[in-house]
Amino acid sequence: MTMIRRNLAAATVAGLALAAISGEVAAQTKSRVTIGVTENISYHNPYADSVSQMYAIWCSTYGCLGYFDFAKGDYVGLLADRWEVKDPNTWIFHLRRDVKRHDGGPFRAEDVVHSIDRANNDPQTSQKQNVAPITKAEVIDDHTVRITTKEPTAPLLEYIFDRLMITSKELFDKHGQREVDRRHPLGFGPYKVRSIQIGESMVIEKNTAWPGILKENPDEVIFRVLREPEARVTALLNNEIQIAQYIPPHLVQRVENARNVRAEPTSSVEIMFIAMSPKHKPWDNMKLRQAVAYAIDRETIIKTILQGRAEVLHGPIGPGQYGYDPNLQPRYSFDPAKARRLVVEAGFPNGVDVEFFTPVARYINDKQISEAVVAMLGQVGIRARLMTPEWATLWADVRKGNTPFYYLGRGSVVDPTVAIAQYFETGGSPRIGYSNPKVDELLRKERQTFDPVERKKTLNQVFSIITEEAPAHFMWRHQQVDGVSNTIDYQPTPSGRILSTTIRMRNPG
Amino acid sequence: MLGYTVRRILGTIPVMVLISLLVFVLLHSAPGDPAEMLLSDEATPQDIAEAKARWGLDQPIYVQYWRFLSSAIQFDFGESFRYRETVVDLLIQRFPATIELALAAILIAVIIGVPLGVWSGARPNTWVDNVSSVVGFFGISMPSFWMGIMLILIIAGFFNWLPSAGRETFGVPGERITGLYTVDSLIRGDMRAFWDALSYLIMPAVTLGVNMLGILMRVTRSAVLDVMHEDYVTTARAKGLAERVVLWRHTVRNALITIITVVGLELGTLLSGSIIVETVFAWPGIGSMLIAGLNVRDYPLITGLVLAYTAIFVFVNFVIDICYGAIDPRIRFDR
Repeated sequence: MTMIRRNLAAATVAGLALAAISGEVAAQTKSRVTIGVTENISYHNPYADSVSQMYAIWCSTYGCLGYFDFAKGDYVGLLADRWEVKDPNTWIFHLRRDVKRHDGGPFRAEDVVHSIDRANNDPQTSQKQNVAPITKAEVIDDHTVRITTKEPTAPLLEYIFDRLMITSKELFDKHGQREVDRRHPLGFGPYKVRSIQIGESMVIEKNTAWPGILKENPDEVIFRVLREPEARVTALLNNEIQIAQYIPPHLVQRVENARNVRAEPTSSVEIMFIAMSPKHKPWDNMKLRQAVAYAIDRETIIKTILQGRAEVLHGPIGPGQYGYDPNLQPRYSFDPAKARRLVVEAGFPNGVDVEFFTPVARYINDKQISEAVVAMLGQVGIRARLMTPEWATLWADVRKGNTPFYYLGRGSVVDPTVAIAQYFETGGSPRIGYSNPKVDELLRKERQTFDPVERKKTLNQVFSIITEEAPAHFMWRHQQVDGVSNTIDYQPTPSGRILSTTIRMRNPG
Repeated sequence: MLGYTVRRILGTIPVMVLISLLVFVLLHSAPGDPAEMLLSDEATPQDIAEAKARWGLDQPIYVQYWRFLSSAIQFDFGESFRYRETVVDLLIQRFPATIELALAAILIAVIIGVPLGVWSGARPNTWVDNVSSVVGFFGISMPSFWMGIMLILIIAGFFNWLPSAGRETFGVPGERITGLYTVDSLIRGDMRAFWDALSYLIMPAVTLGVNMLGILMRVTRSAVLDVMHEDYVTTARAKGLAERVVLWRHTVRNALITIITVVGLELGTLLSGSIIVETVFAWPGIGSMLIAGLNVRDYPLITGLVLAYTAIFVFVNFVIDICYGAIDPRIRFDR
């Protein structure tokens, strides 16, 4: 390889001349960080999408009440100074007094009330679900808001903290919905929106008036949509970008071997599972569902197909997620003999034929994983035919409850209440079609319990029942690896959300 | 000529209507629902029903199509579900990028493919012919997604000669005039911006153009071989004309009809290839946007973009028909 490099040195000189002019290679400055992201940048309107990446960008710019700090393991305020639960249905939020709008205008309680209204009623909103528990939001004074919920909602912060963007009522009234987002994207957060190229890139710049902003925080942050992993990694190695999100396992070594960049792993909060809908035969049989859980050798799949970059789940959630109990029971180990016995006990002495659905290229190595699962199930008498519909088709069928047996992920599970209710509470959604009155009762109780110790205890009772009855077999959480330039300090969060204030330049200049 | 032009323009109307109907029916028949794809994982059935009503998807398909058609006549293709911008605005923003890429790809294919084909046809079974054939087969055989990834890995990754993806360096391009960055920078006389735009354009254009290059090389070779045995070529030689004149004035000119017909027909392949190439290189044209639209069943966007592709294809083939008259005086359109 070295020989080839030497022999082509002359040609390289010519190429470098072009590259030097070409751009980001040369244009890299110490106060600019470019991030290669995978999700689309689709809107000017901060209420128009419900994409994890955009929540974080809007939260950094327009501002949000707070966010979950994974290092502290708790929620921290951004625009909210503190909050209190007055009674089970009433929350009081005290807002920061030292924050100004990007143009120097005031930050007031009416902006929060206005934002809840926009999340609910904006003609382009995709965020109604985030404010669904709220019945009323009122201004108490310029810096205090009272929020009333339909029913006691202990996990309210999960709904509204970094998923409710705070926009200015004054600017909205002055310019109207369409104009204000496009022409006057002035918020209250630590960064300002500078430009948005729909589907392509977004540039934000540091709000130097933000209390506590650091010299080390980059002056500009550019989010560039780069969907191809090879393109992201190459751009990172060439210093065209300084953070490359989501490096797939087969490319991690390329990043690790490079001198100017490093791989920063973190456990994702996306839980991967195999759903077995009890409303469809033969999955109404609990023993057969448990047989699936015993038949799959998760450790081997992680070691081989995922190259060690995942963490087995014993129950619906893992470390760092709210309510995690390392001693949760029961646990499923790889036990094909027991699985075979369970298949027979389930009434299938000659085995059973089923269809197993998987997305392709949506999750890391999803098809390869599903192929391995099919082979493992075959060993215990569950003859699964692998079905690989296009994602839109599969997702539509899953949402309608028409897919009995499938491999899927559920992202953004920090406080698991919403996700667990969505998949396992009666009427939560048709996706699995599981129903257990005991689980329903416990979930209701958990939502109304404000004592964290008691709430976690109730949640774990739910987790135990679900794990035992196995309407879903929880597989693993992927290890999310971001590639990071050595010119910056940055640690990815398990949610994959990038708050620009968490990026620090090593030599701010 | 005017009558011919008017007839051709009128002839495109039923083509466009038919294509729009086909796309509309196929899209609505495909499984998957835009509201379910675009709303949050936590959206309730009521949220989904409201979104469908807002987008008119609760209406019967013939009502939806009629609404689309009556608006499309006024160049209003509706608002994209995904981007919440009008499809026309999105087209205006994205179209120049695709045009620039397609033009660069055609340029590469023609500038390299035609001379290679001519030399190869003029000297059959020589080393020139053999090398050209290898180049031709290489171009035809390489899938564009593979070729794109290889260029990224080798040219951008290994040698670091060119940027890996995108269309511009933030802060380098200046005022937009035509939307074609290379052309705009030349008009402004800004060479730094020109080299910047060119450096981003080279890899996607080569990836896109290499297939057409291979086909053009093969077709040109074949056409030149055919024409070389015509009587008028023998006559030209008998008159004592130089071989270069015989080849380029008498042979190539007569082979041109075949060559430009192939360019027109291959344009469809090139445009469909641009969808993949734009995605691989994060090139912000209508191809990568079409993929984004398809993934979420963005009906207005997909229909608008497919019609834009159809319009390009029809227009270019119309221009090529006009060119026939210039190349071959026997072909006239005013009768």
